Amino acid sequence: MQPRELKRLLDVLKDTDVSELTLETGEYKLTLRRGLGAAPAAAPVPYAAVPPAPAPAPVEQPAAQQAPEPAPSERLVDVVAPIVGTFYAAPSPDAPPFVRVGERVKPGTVLCIIEAMKLMNEIEAETSGIVREILVDNGQPVEYGQVLFRIEPD
Amino acid sequence: MFRKILIANRGEIALRIVRAARELGVQSVVVYSQADENSLPVLLADEAVCIGPPPAASSYLNVRNILAAALVTGAEAIHPGYGFLAENAEFAAKCEEHNLVFIGPRPDNIASIGDKSAARALAQEAGVPVTPGSGPLASLQEAKAFAEEIGFPLILKASAGGGGRGMRVVQSHADLERQFVNAQEEARAAFGNPELYMEKYLEEPKHIEVQVFGDGRGEVVQLFERDCSVQRRYQKLLEEGPSLLDDGLRQRIADAAVRLASHIRYRGAGTCEFLVDKEGNFYFSEMNTRIQVEHPVTEMITGTDLVQEQIKVAAGEPLSWRQEDLSVRGHAIEVRINAEDPEHDFRPTAGTVTDVHWPGGPGVRVDSHVYAGYRIPPHYDSLLAKIITWAPTREEAIRRMERSLRETVIEGVKTTIPFHLRVLDNAFFRRGQVYTNFVARRMSS
Repeated sequence: MQPRELKRLLDVLKDTDVSELTLETGEYKLTLRRGLGAAPAAAPVPYAAVPPAPAPAPVEQPAAQQAPEPAPSERLVDVVAPIVGTFYAAPSPDAPPFVRVGERVKPGTVLCIIEAMKLMNEIEAETSGIVREILVDNGQPVEYGQVLFRIEPD
Repeated sequence: MFRKILIANRGEIALRIVRAARELGVQSVVVYSQADENSLPVLLADEAVCIGPPPAASSYLNVRNILAAALVTGAEAIHPGYGFLAENAEFAAKCEEHNLVFIGPRPDNIASIGDKSAARALAQEAGVPVTPGSGPLASLQEAKAFAEEIGFPLILKASAGGGGRGMRVVQSHADLERQFVNAQEEARAAFGNPELYMEKYLEEPKHIEVQVFGDGRGEVVQLFERDCSVQRRYQKLLEEGPSLLDDGLRQRIADAAVRLASHIRYRGAGTCEFLVDKEGNFYFSEMNTRIQVEHPVTEMITGTDLVQEQIKVAAGEPLSWRQEDLSVRGHAIEVRINAEDPEHDFRPTAGTVTDVHWPGGPGVRVDSHVYAGYRIPPHYDSLLAKIITWAPTREEAIRRMERSLRETVIEGVKTTIPFHLRVLDNAFFRRGQVYTNFVARRMSS
């Protein structure tokens, strides 16, 4: 498992009531426990070790403090562009889009095409869930790391 | 002229190119890695496209994403700056395949002159002297015959070698027999191949380089020379121009550079590097097919803009100057301010530049991408700034540089400024007695 995937998993778990999760694949078995009691809860998760940003802009601070905890349904997974190119929502100009808002996807579902140097690169979902947002328009250039979709995981 | 160009680089040189483009009325697109999101070139360019994560191999060397960025933004040409893809013939060819102009030499120029033995052969064809050297030496007898021919000192090198191993400086015939056998054994042990060759060894040479500019059709001008002898482990630290060589020798070296560049019908900015010994012999060592870090020295003494000229020539315009239009006025010095600790073997010092103040006043130029609050990414080189001073004479340019460095404030990281102040104060430097071993010999504390 990549560190990024682990962090994402921890992020997702953070605001749930799940206290124990075991994940087993051919390569590894991972068990995560979250005690709601005193001692285990204090165990730092990786992102907790990141020092706070120095001197955040004063205008942002109250806003951040007032931001309500997102409800579980609002926690969406970003799908980002892995390459630079042109975003296409459909396999051809006349065809219907690969996905629409509200549709269910699973790992391997093609979400879009990014054309780079005349090569069509299919971008697949890595999460099961429902497409909640599509942030780019058909034919729009996208850069590395740009958020294309937001998916509400199951 | 182009409407829009893409800049495939970062740091001070990306900023330099953004500035040149803006003054020409050309829009700029800067590509950047995630580590450079808040960098000055990204903030000042007309457009910016993220091309990858921080490691250069995934971003600034990511040919596919860079070309895709040029195509989706409608850029017509790509300026590679220096380093990264600047001397990559394959990248230059790929640009052409996609109808993008590579702002630099033709791919065949980059490939041929970038290969050490091919460059040596081209120089000889053009009548440019190269360091006398032997082919593989089959025996000690052959080595002795060669030594007879070109004289001492000589350096023995392993054909399979590198990194200094198997290299022996030989001062005399008496020395040769013993050194030859030792070097053979060292080469055999280190590389599994005892084969040796010999070259003339230059003691205390000066590193002199000539700035050339070609139109790609055989027209070449030279913009005089820079002396880059102040270097440490082949890394240049301070450059100046013109050199202190006598005018006859300066002209002969410049003529040789023009002969080589004309011979290959060179296009764009290039630099021919030479080693010059104390007897006034000079030998071609290599040609750099790009704009150089130290190009401002030449700009300051010739009143030219080499980066703008690169863009114009790439757009098909003729050279802005004939040779007779060009002359040297005054003297310029450039120091490279690196985020390195000169007290601890020049080790890089990462961190955030908490405060910065640049020098000003007459004859001072600062090329830097650094601002207060700038976090130096650990993924790239440590160059923070180049400070260039110009004055009518070398002595005045040195004093102006001393005053400029004392005005400069860079807080939060260690820099090479204290080292440069020591160089400027060194008596040998003041007298111009500077050879490539200057830092090792005169500056070791």
